[in-house]
Amino acid sequence: MQNPHVYALSNNSLLLDASHLSTSGTLSIQKKIWSLANHCKKDNSFIDIVPAMNSLTLYLKQDIELAKWLEQLPAIWNNIKPNEFVAKHHKIKTHYNGADLNYVANFHSLSIDDVINLHSEPQYAVLFLGFQPGFAYLNGLNKQLFTPRRSEPRLKVPRGSVAIGAEQTAIYPADSPGGWHIIGRTDIPLFDATQKSPCLIQPGDTLEFIPVSVGI
Amino acid sequence: MIKVIKSGPLLSIQDFGRNGYRHLGVSQSGSLDPYAQTIANCLLNNDKNAAVLEVTVGLCELAFECNTVIALFGADLNATLDEKPIYPGWTYNIKQKQVLKFSTGRAGLRAYIAVKGGIQSPVVMNSKATDLNAGFGGLNGKSLIAGDTIKITPYQSECTQCGALMPPKRKIVRVYPSPHAQLFSKQIINGFTQSSFKVSHNSNRMGVRLQSDNYSLTHSHSLPSLAVSPGSIQLPPNGEPIVLLNDAQTTGGYPLLGTVIEADLHQFAQYRPLDTIEFEYVTFKQALQAKQKLDGHLNQLKIALKSKR
Repeated sequence: MQNPHVYALSNNSLLLDASHLSTSGTLSIQKKIWSLANHCKKDNSFIDIVPAMNSLTLYLKQDIELAKWLEQLPAIWNNIKPNEFVAKHHKIKTHYNGADLNYVANFHSLSIDDVINLHSEPQYAVLFLGFQPGFAYLNGLNKQLFTPRRSEPRLKVPRGSVAIGAEQTAIYPADSPGGWHIIGRTDIPLFDATQKSPCLIQPGDTLEFIPVSVGI
Repeated sequence: MIKVIKSGPLLSIQDFGRNGYRHLGVSQSGSLDPYAQTIANCLLNNDKNAAVLEVTVGLCELAFECNTVIALFGADLNATLDEKPIYPGWTYNIKQKQVLKFSTGRAGLRAYIAVKGGIQSPVVMNSKATDLNAGFGGLNGKSLIAGDTIKITPYQSECTQCGALMPPKRKIVRVYPSPHAQLFSKQIINGFTQSSFKVSHNSNRMGVRLQSDNYSLTHSHSLPSLAVSPGSIQLPPNGEPIVLLNDAQTTGGYPLLGTVIEADLHQFAQYRPLDTIEFEYVTFKQALQAKQKLDGHLNQLKIALKSKR
């Protein structure tokens, strides 16, 4: 079995990189990443535990624990079962009426209904969050919908926009500039800093888009 | 209360920032110079995480609507109190209606104002720091503008003036080894420590962008996204390194040249466009010793202040 790379980034942070192990697909590796994150959460040693694409970065409370974790992490990884993580499923009610819906349909010579069906069919996995609070990188977009990013990014993609950019789809939790194609909108708040649990979606969760209605 | 008469380019409420939410894409935010914040708060006998005002460049004007004591720290932006010069590193008793003005400075970029008892603002996700990109924390999640009112608790007694020195500045920034050293050519790793970089005008609270005239660090590597944090040094394919700071996003796909050590990262609060920076790689032990030295500086200050009170 190949081992993950483990690096100390500083005296209080370390990176486990498993991105070179993904012969069986990035999702199966990512499931181990979520399980490892979950395992580390039970320990009280970390300020932050951040999954990214087939990697996990751990930020320690105390410098002194660095050596211990550098040594133990590969063994913990090898003993982790991918399904130790229990995912939450979210149904995202989506109005498929985005400004670029026609463009995406035309680009692929599909009907609008085809685009909606292809987009709302899969169960997506939340690989990790980043870019902005509550922004989830999703796995599972149908290849037929892969669409190159807009040549000119929009200065403002409105909060709640459901969009496609290259091989990915995502929901914008807040207004922000962006170059992805907007195909729809959801009213579900993804991130609210004033709430006790500010973020609806966690790494490892699953979600599906439920079409509400076409039109305005 | 403090009334903002002029904000200058960027005036915001900050503390040490947010921890524990990076996996949700929430940036740290917080004072770019945490040591300046710490020392300013120590001088006032505040909690070291008490919220402060971060002044950028200067050109800022604040009117106090109550008595208090302040400590000024960080860059010397030629501050005056009722038109009389005051200096970073010192505390000043403030009377109601006095006006604190900043012009601009010859070196450094950011000044910190701590007030007795700290700036009062709601705690959002464990911090009072303003997340300027996501729009929460501080005062309504925004940078302060003319007309804003900043809440403070009036403090009537006067304090004996006290002062402290900033830790000495280093010319060469120390960096932890790169996790991607094997990916980069030797030429890039060597070039990074042999070049002298200029700070780009495109720098901000998210990161300091660097340019080099004499060495090309261009490459064509792209990586699966990995977590990044303040101090991470990204190298985009254009070969111009970015030292990420407190407002940076939490993940990125550029390979890393390394991480600026804790003891030197605060210096990035003060670099101005066209300033030059050089880097050297150090060992984990050296980084730890540097941090202990800086912490020692703070402890000495605390002991000195205690004996004075």
